[in-house]
Amino acid sequence: MTSAIANILALLVMPIVVTGTINRVKARWAGRVGPPIFQLAFDLWRLVRKTPVYSKVTTPVFRVGPAIVLVTSVASACIVPLAGTGSLVAFSFDFVWFAYVWSFGRVALMLGALDTGSSFEGMGASREATFATLLEPVLFLVAGALCLHGGVRSFEAALVPHLDGPSAVVMWLCAIGALMIVIQVEAARMPVDDPTTHLELTMVHEVMILDHGGPELAMLQAASAIKTFVAISVAATLLDPLAGESSILAIGAHLGICLAIAIGLGMIESLVARLKLRIVPQYIVVALVSAGIALLSTLGRGGFS
Amino acid sequence: MVASGLFLASVPVLLIGAALAAGLRGNRARGLAALGSQAIAIVLVSLSVVPILAGDGSLEVTWSWPSPIDSIAFRVDALGAFFLVWSLPMTFLGTLYSVGYLQPYFHHGRNGGPHFALLNLTSLSFVLIYAVQNALVFLLGWEIAAVAAWLMVIWDYRNQKIRFAGFNYLVSTHVGLFVLVAAFMLLHGSTGSMDFADFGRYLSAHPAGQGTLFLLLGISFALKSAFFPFHTWLPRAHSAAPAHVSALMSGVIHKAGLFAFLRFTLLGGKPEPWMGWAVLTFGALSAVFGVLYTAAQRDLKRMLGYSSTENVGIAAMGFGIGMLGWSWSDPALATLGFGGGLLHVLNHALFKCSLFYAAGAIYRATHTIDLERLGGLARRMPRTAIFFLLGGLAMCGLPPFNGFISEFLVYSGLLSGAAPSIEGDVVLVCAAAVLAFVGAVGALSTTRAFGLAFLGVPRDPSIRAGEDAPRSMAVPMVVHSVGIIVLGVFPTAALALVEPVLALFPVGGGAAHGPELADVLGPVVWACRGLACALAIAMFATWRRRRSARESVTWGCGYTAGTARMQYTGSSFSAQLSSLFRPALPVLTREELPTDPFPQHSSHLSTHHVDAVEKRMYEVIGQGEQFVQDASSRIPEQPRFAFAAGLLALVVLALVALREGL
Repeated sequence: MTSAIANILALLVMPIVVTGTINRVKARWAGRVGPPIFQLAFDLWRLVRKTPVYSKVTTPVFRVGPAIVLVTSVASACIVPLAGTGSLVAFSFDFVWFAYVWSFGRVALMLGALDTGSSFEGMGASREATFATLLEPVLFLVAGALCLHGGVRSFEAALVPHLDGPSAVVMWLCAIGALMIVIQVEAARMPVDDPTTHLELTMVHEVMILDHGGPELAMLQAASAIKTFVAISVAATLLDPLAGESSILAIGAHLGICLAIAIGLGMIESLVARLKLRIVPQYIVVALVSAGIALLSTLGRGGFS
Repeated sequence: MVASGLFLASVPVLLIGAALAAGLRGNRARGLAALGSQAIAIVLVSLSVVPILAGDGSLEVTWSWPSPIDSIAFRVDALGAFFLVWSLPMTFLGTLYSVGYLQPYFHHGRNGGPHFALLNLTSLSFVLIYAVQNALVFLLGWEIAAVAAWLMVIWDYRNQKIRFAGFNYLVSTHVGLFVLVAAFMLLHGSTGSMDFADFGRYLSAHPAGQGTLFLLLGISFALKSAFFPFHTWLPRAHSAAPAHVSALMSGVIHKAGLFAFLRFTLLGGKPEPWMGWAVLTFGALSAVFGVLYTAAQRDLKRMLGYSSTENVGIAAMGFGIGMLGWSWSDPALATLGFGGGLLHVLNHALFKCSLFYAAGAIYRATHTIDLERLGGLARRMPRTAIFFLLGGLAMCGLPPFNGFISEFLVYSGLLSGAAPSIEGDVVLVCAAAVLAFVGAVGALSTTRAFGLAFLGVPRDPSIRAGEDAPRSMAVPMVVHSVGIIVLGVFPTAALALVEPVLALFPVGGGAAHGPELADVLGPVVWACRGLACALAIAMFATWRRRRSARESVTWGCGYTAGTARMQYTGSSFSAQLSSLFRPALPVLTREELPTDPFPQHSSHLSTHHVDAVEKRMYEVIGQGEQFVQDASSRIPEQPRFAFAAGLLALVVLALVALREGL
């Protein structure tokens, strides 16, 4: 019960805090004070009260899309331990569900983008779809390796680190490396995508939501913040030595690690230039190779330890 | 006895229906004759088959027949019953669709009788293939299905391209038939009988001879079901045929290949592990190449055709896992694999037929299925848009639709860590990652197809969309779409059909059974229901809140003179993906680029994605000599590579020799 409440509270608060933290870190590196940590909440509230403007070209697909994106991001959040205590829901191979629900949200977003008939938005949708084809196998390789290693089947159990022996350490490091790239791609962060760029030609995620406004934009921004937090939380669980325990200390440790990752992301965004779009698939292949090494190192399970 | 009488009565009913359809006057009467006789046959077959699926053993009849056949045994077990119980109704729906789809042709005085008769014969071929136990009669049913499909494909026979597509299909399917005949001759030579039961006794007594037969039968059934690299006939045929024929071929008729594969797997008894690995690899290859081709097609029906190569590949991955589970005596794995594969066969039939029907509705309204010219159809054909979207979402395996459930079972098998060695487990997880890749590319293809055809604005202003699908075409789509949603949220109905089939596989000595599929699926089905409810509420809420929204133009990023031609096109949408997988997705480019700052000549550029297998096949047939010559002439240019390759070959040979103890 405590765990469930902690998860729901984390789901409500942390996406806003994580986004705020990243932005604050970026502002500090740029020598500014930066917006308040809870700025996203104010933005969402402002957007929700606005009247939307729809393009004449669009169909109901465009209006329904953001709602689907929001629902799927919440549905995927249920599988992941958000507060370090365990997830809201866990069942065998729930990470398959996780990946496919995410994929559904992505499809809804891309269809909304294509619905406007704008070639910029089509461009963003095409890039998002192409990156996803390389990214989905990464998630399955990492989750499969963790499951084989731990002899477990659910995402929350697989993410609890078992560092028994050198091959396990190799696997753990490679899995974290791969997941970090997954975060950057899925959350549309540098060096894959620049959330603050002004040039539509180079955008991925932002260009797909160019025509959304008002409540629709609020739903999409909330969904994207939730996705960022969920992805960070996956990596944080893997880094968390207290993962799986349900004490205040464990919850605090998990949230602290989440914020640390958010600060790390903010630093990367401040210090690294974005990759050329042609290079991005190669960057994702790095994650793929890393995940492959993680899987292969399960072969050494009996050998080294 | 009553049941078997009812079952056999469907044969003359279908034949009489075919004769009436061919002989009556007026296309309306002909269509009614076909529909009526098929409806009666469905009732007869269902009455006799449903008790089998309820666990009531099997149905057997033997007819004595003059030499050389001696006797024909009909035997419907759960496997045949599973395929019969949905094949006949889906053919009925296809016939109903054809009544509306062919209407424009009927207005021009075309005689639909032979076409309706062929649809009846297709139903008849299912009754034969799924029930008969005699190799000769089985081949007869196989041939009826193939020839009927060919004749239906060339409905528009005045068009030379369509005749060529039909001929291509006819040749391919007969190459498969020759291989099948060869396998049957081998078996007949060893047993002196044409009866499947004798084949089974021989196969289980002589496991050594299984390898050759496995390969022969596998190739024949792979040609039938259009597995990669035997799929070359498929895109042409599907693009040329009328929509309902494409739907039936892809969704129903060519599932006979998978049925026959399972039938002979059952006859052969416990398989060797290599067979399971071979089927798994083959299925994974089909899935990957099939789905990559779907991403690059500009012809909507070609794209859907390639997607059947993908989906039979996914089903075969399930069967491969099932065979591995069987050979490792692991009932849980066998249940997941065979269960997932069978369920995917049914699910694929549901969504693929629906998609082809929607594509047919587009063709009927606009007279084209070229994605680069379509656009904005959702406004003018809202019903068709909804059906296509549902089918498309199911096709890329998204929850809460039916495709997800069967793919989840296959994933459960792949990820369960059930292999006897850790190496095996690692390979299975890699296969799961491959399936994830297939899912993601499938999502790209669905988005692309739906987005280009239905969203945005029409790319070609000369295309005028006519009316949305008439009722006879909409009803089949409604039925299939309901199936897509119901089996996604309540898969228990489909599991009831699959589980009796799983009981046929004597894994773990026959007594032991794997877990109930309903238990495996329990939590994920609840999750799907939750998601479906949440989506429904969210969509309803957004729908309600339309009120005072303002309308404006799409934001053109500062450019105000945008035209419909400037929208993102199909080729640009998949350009990045296809450049990543260039060897698998070759592009023919014809270009005449402008040269000077003030070009004197008009320039053009056209790109065309061709089938890699077909391209190579024709290359080898047409220019094989040249090909080898070029390759060998390159050796002196690269002496280091030749040396390295020779050295590598020597090392491999030496290792093999050492291993063999020579």
